[in-house]
Amino acid sequence: MLSRRSRIVIDTLLPAQAHPTLAVGALDNGFDTFYSDFERTAKPAFRSGFRAALFTATWLSPLLILRLPPLSLYARPTRERALLAMDSSRIYLLRQMVLLLKTVVCLSYGADPAVRAAVGYPRQADAATFKQAP
Amino acid sequence: MIIDGEKEPRALDETFDYVIVGSGAAGATAARVLVDQGARLAIVEEGPAVTTAEFGDQAFPAFRRLFRDMGLQLARGRAFIPVIQGSCLGGSTVINSAIVWRIPADVWDPWNTEFGLGQALPLETLHQNWDQLERELSARPTAPEIWGENNRLLAVAGERSGMAANPLRRFENGCRGSARCSTGCPFGAKQSMLVSYLPYASERGASIFASAHVDKVILSGDRAAGVTGSFHESQTKRRLAPFTLRARQGVLIAASAIQTPGLLARSGIRSRHLGAHFQGHPGAGLVGVFTENVNLWSGATQGFEMDQHRLDGRYKIETLSLGPETLFARLPGVGGHWLENISQTGHMALWVVQLRAYAQGSVRQGPFGTDIRFDLTRQDMINLRKGLRVTAEMLFAAGAREVICGIHGLPERLTNPDQARLLENGPDNPASYTFALSHLFGTARMSVQPGAGVVGTDFSVHGTRGLYVIDSSLFPTNLGVNPQHAIMGIAMHAAHKISQLNG
Repeated sequence: MLSRRSRIVIDTLLPAQAHPTLAVGALDNGFDTFYSDFERTAKPAFRSGFRAALFTATWLSPLLILRLPPLSLYARPTRERALLAMDSSRIYLLRQMVLLLKTVVCLSYGADPAVRAAVGYPRQADAATFKQAP
Repeated sequence: MIIDGEKEPRALDETFDYVIVGSGAAGATAARVLVDQGARLAIVEEGPAVTTAEFGDQAFPAFRRLFRDMGLQLARGRAFIPVIQGSCLGGSTVINSAIVWRIPADVWDPWNTEFGLGQALPLETLHQNWDQLERELSARPTAPEIWGENNRLLAVAGERSGMAANPLRRFENGCRGSARCSTGCPFGAKQSMLVSYLPYASERGASIFASAHVDKVILSGDRAAGVTGSFHESQTKRRLAPFTLRARQGVLIAASAIQTPGLLARSGIRSRHLGAHFQGHPGAGLVGVFTENVNLWSGATQGFEMDQHRLDGRYKIETLSLGPETLFARLPGVGGHWLENISQTGHMALWVVQLRAYAQGSVRQGPFGTDIRFDLTRQDMINLRKGLRVTAEMLFAAGAREVICGIHGLPERLTNPDQARLLENGPDNPASYTFALSHLFGTARMSVQPGAGVVGTDFSVHGTRGLYVIDSSLFPTNLGVNPQHAIMGIAMHAAHKISQLNG
């Protein structure tokens, strides 16, 4: 189970109601179920890397914009600025951590049928259906 | 007969003529040859047996079941580069795009003149093998009706910029253009080893063991007598039951350029060349954003290429379709800005530069498992940046309104063709780019003299009898083209030769 602070990091990455066609946020679409599965089945290095990235985003990213941690203290625009600063940091490891956060979050978000429909991903999960398509 | 050690683990001690370690392009092709000679075979695959009916269109289950280390096996250098490999029955042929390229003469010539391997790997024989493989596995150019926009736009760019862009030839039979090669073809149309040579061998009596990790080759004196290992849970690697598979004639190692050197080292093989000379084809991509719909999820996953600069620039440009999960993660921004980029993915095309790198790394056993080192050279970075510039120019030529770079230190997006030159003058540190490394070679290279490599010209490991390496580990260099066909042609030759040697 993700901590409240970690959930705020996820929510900052892909917030709900922040885009007209992608209204669902990362936490709206079953991320908790996905995360349980991830914790149970992902490789240890993958899991610990993700946790380290969450920790760094929570406790270090605010410092990059000269704010005191944790990230959860701030409103969304400030949180986004902090994560963007981490994403564009000169320190390679910090950039890689943001990439890892985005990768894991997207494993859930990009699989959501509602998100897929919104970006035009064809319905083809059912091979039989796809075979009949023109 | 397929025995999935994950589902039916039991201690095993059996004897065969040959034991083949690895069920990918090399192992399955060798099996296809040897069963025809009447040999009794065991094929051992570390990954699980996943059937076509189980292939879905979501990335996480696919990463978990089909990819080595869930796609997160990393090479270390100035940048961390994911090393993409399949780890399932059929190996990487289950997750690649089944692209067909014979070894170009300009690549083979130095193998002959510099490495003296012309007789060991005769080009004429390889061409005969490739003819056979292309017949049996339905090699054909990507048909226009399954190009989809991502591929068609590269054709348009080629016409408009005077570059030779061509449909890729692929092993497929009835491709529907579902863009799902990388999560396993759900229609069995891609002629991976899972649906072609493994069933062929199985129907002719070969025993296929999945979820079966080989610990080491049994060496009796200098002769390979079999392998030992254990069935395991493929995700957790928890050992379930031990096995010993004995080989009367020989053990063929086809475990890939990453796993083969480790297995040989664990088996007591010593050579300064073992795990050295590691080469590959690193790739980096650019996203073009178009006004019209592209929908790169319809059409062949990789259906087009531009190889005009294969020789002078050591790169090819290829189309690539990524699933939503991996494409989204690659887009810039966080929060609302990232969502805006994600909302545009239906209008995006993705083309990648595949580089024939000069870099040579290493694959060794470290304290935390396999330690892969790979760092691009200065010349590699120059070639990469040129390739990215040409890619951006072609995206604009095809009508892109902007190009998303994803390169640290450069603008997030280019908005006109003149800005493409920024890419050629971009950062020279690999850490500024996002790479993936596939097509892996050279970690047990073939040599005429024992001191110059690991494997002799009869495919046996120097100083041993009956222990053969038949995968891309033995390649003296990388290729600059997609290697599955080359690997299969050489494995086919190796299997014939080994069969002749053993009467």
